[in-house]
Amino acid sequence: MTLTEPAIADSEAAPGAGGATAPEPSDEAAAAPSILAQPFVTSDAAAVGRLFVLTSLLLAVGTSVVGVLLSLGRTEAVAPWDLFGGFNAYFRMWTLYRMSFMLLVVMPLLLGVALAVVPTQVGAGNVAFPRAALASFWSWLIGAVIIVVSVLAGGGWGAIDGVTGNESDAMALTLLGTGMVIVALMLGAVTVATTVISSRQTGMSLLDVPPFSWSMLVAAAVWLFTLPVAIANLVVIYADLRGRPAIAFGRAESPDIWLQLDWLVEQPAVYIMAVPVLGIAVEAVGAAVGARSSRPEAITVIVGLFGLLAVGGWSQDYFTAPQDLRDGLVYVAFGLAAVLPLVALAGGAAELVLRGTKTPDRLLDVRMMGAGAALKLLGAAALVGALRVIEPLDLLETTATWAVFHGVVVAGLIAGVVALRNWSHELQISPLSVVVGRGAVALLLGGGGLLVLSDLISGFLADAPDLMALALDGSAALNVVALAGSVLVAAGAAAAAVGAVSALRTPVPAGEAA
Amino acid sequence: MRTTALPAAEATRPRTVVVGALLATGAVFMAFAALVAMYVQQRQTARAAGQEWFPEGSVELGPAGMMMMTLVLSMVTVQWAVQAARDEDRPHGFIALGVTLMFGAAVINQFWFVYQDTAFAIDGGRAELLFYAVTGAFIAMLIGGMAMLTVTTIRSLMGPFGRDLAHGVQAAGFYWHMCVLCYFLVWYVVFITK
Repeated sequence: MTLTEPAIADSEAAPGAGGATAPEPSDEAAAAPSILAQPFVTSDAAAVGRLFVLTSLLLAVGTSVVGVLLSLGRTEAVAPWDLFGGFNAYFRMWTLYRMSFMLLVVMPLLLGVALAVVPTQVGAGNVAFPRAALASFWSWLIGAVIIVVSVLAGGGWGAIDGVTGNESDAMALTLLGTGMVIVALMLGAVTVATTVISSRQTGMSLLDVPPFSWSMLVAAAVWLFTLPVAIANLVVIYADLRGRPAIAFGRAESPDIWLQLDWLVEQPAVYIMAVPVLGIAVEAVGAAVGARSSRPEAITVIVGLFGLLAVGGWSQDYFTAPQDLRDGLVYVAFGLAAVLPLVALAGGAAELVLRGTKTPDRLLDVRMMGAGAALKLLGAAALVGALRVIEPLDLLETTATWAVFHGVVVAGLIAGVVALRNWSHELQISPLSVVVGRGAVALLLGGGGLLVLSDLISGFLADAPDLMALALDGSAALNVVALAGSVLVAAGAAAAAVGAVSALRTPVPAGEAA
Repeated sequence: MRTTALPAAEATRPRTVVVGALLATGAVFMAFAALVAMYVQQRQTARAAGQEWFPEGSVELGPAGMMMMTLVLSMVTVQWAVQAARDEDRPHGFIALGVTLMFGAAVINQFWFVYQDTAFAIDGGRAELLFYAVTGAFIAMLIGGMAMLTVTTIRSLMGPFGRDLAHGVQAAGFYWHMCVLCYFLVWYVVFITK
């Protein structure tokens, strides 16, 4: 058996390993689940990983289209309220865009890659809890559907213009869906972390674990430190929302609900999505130029440090005066220090390039381009994050917040594209087409870059806190740039999704899987 | 360069269940600690503004202390169950798991009494809301722990004790100890310092 065969083969082959007669082909066919049933019963982590990757890329297309509409609203070509049918509808989409990119796109995308790749990297036949991985996917998907449907039904994370009819009930449903999605992601994180800790090859220490697996271990630990805090927020909000009349935390008619959860999509917690990007980038560069790092332990420390700086449950300004928290030394230190590991990792990637083969085809490899693009966007996001915490610049409650967010999520999407190319064997798909891969990376880099730039400059232009960037003097041109960026990101996400579907549909060539 | 061309690891991975349970237990503890942190922060804000948190005498320490004692006893019995599973001692394992479940049920019953005694309304104010959020979350966690113990008990009824079951009971034991630690926070923060 090869390492890249479905791991279920391991466990199923074991009973017959003692010399029992091989089952008849007809018996095997009868025992194997049908194609339709497989997604519901499979215990092959690669299959679950593919489900995560494909679904999250499809959701990426939908989310980025919402982003295009929101950017269109910023240009004032159409009044944003008219575009969506009211103030609350605009707010719902504005918040959905942010939550969806984090919880329904980037985190599940990288988790899906990890479920397929980590077991093979650490020499395990399968993930530690394959059925938990499958449960993680389905509960995540059901939660995602609940979120989307409830938001479309008038729910969401609060309102800015009162509530009517059953909107409060729909909000309760949105909170339930959010909780389900977060618990599902944590379940997947436990599965991946346990695989690295407990199922790795005998004799392989944690320092010997390949960079991506290490980055996923760090990411899983950070997710398990950070996401439960959001669950606590949800419990209190939900209890208040349903204990009518709501007292403080669950007031449906105000944006309070969002203000208790927005720390998830702001720094430092926003970086929890980016930790696996570091591992993917290092491995992709190494694979493209055919080199290994001379200081793998340094990569380990850098990724660990970045993970530490992404722990963010403590940074909730809803419960204190914002200036108390955000002018605090810890918050500023986290914001400034996040740049350092990224600079160090860029140095590590550069060292790989210097040590490797530098032929044009290798340097223009999708993995090389994608890793470079992801690191550039992530670095830009961290740099903006560092500027944002410098008090005299007054960027805290401005669109600079979303420059950080956009840099991180688009870097995550690019990392997903790189992973599809780099680990097609492990995902058991055909390699992502070079043209599609390069196109997706270029579109995402261009779009992400424009979004980061326009959000940052809009932040500098803002005279007063304005996170929605709807009333900025002199920023009309920037809003057009943001629209162009959103369109490019949507096109890049669509290219990645089409590439993934195509790679899934194309049969893996004979012998390729080995 | 491939980083995946490694031979498969040995099939025996004895502590996988324990490691997974520890990670999940840590996540549950983080959620509960965040809830308690919110409670403490809101109480601090209310007191700083000169507001009363709970009406004088509405929250009694007696039942809460009884629950603490019950849960401390349950820590002993759950560890007894873990040891019995390790020793493949079926009678003691059943007794220990059964007694632990009984202690868990007793604590839930005691909480019911506390709810009746305090007669708080969930929409009565921030204090009442957070009281129910924190204690309700604890009860949900405790029920989860009882479910884990019940599953391991049923598994032991259906087959022989062995290493897998011992690790399952050990994992449930870790979770149970974490629940008791969480109740200690509730006891101190909600009932003692009020």
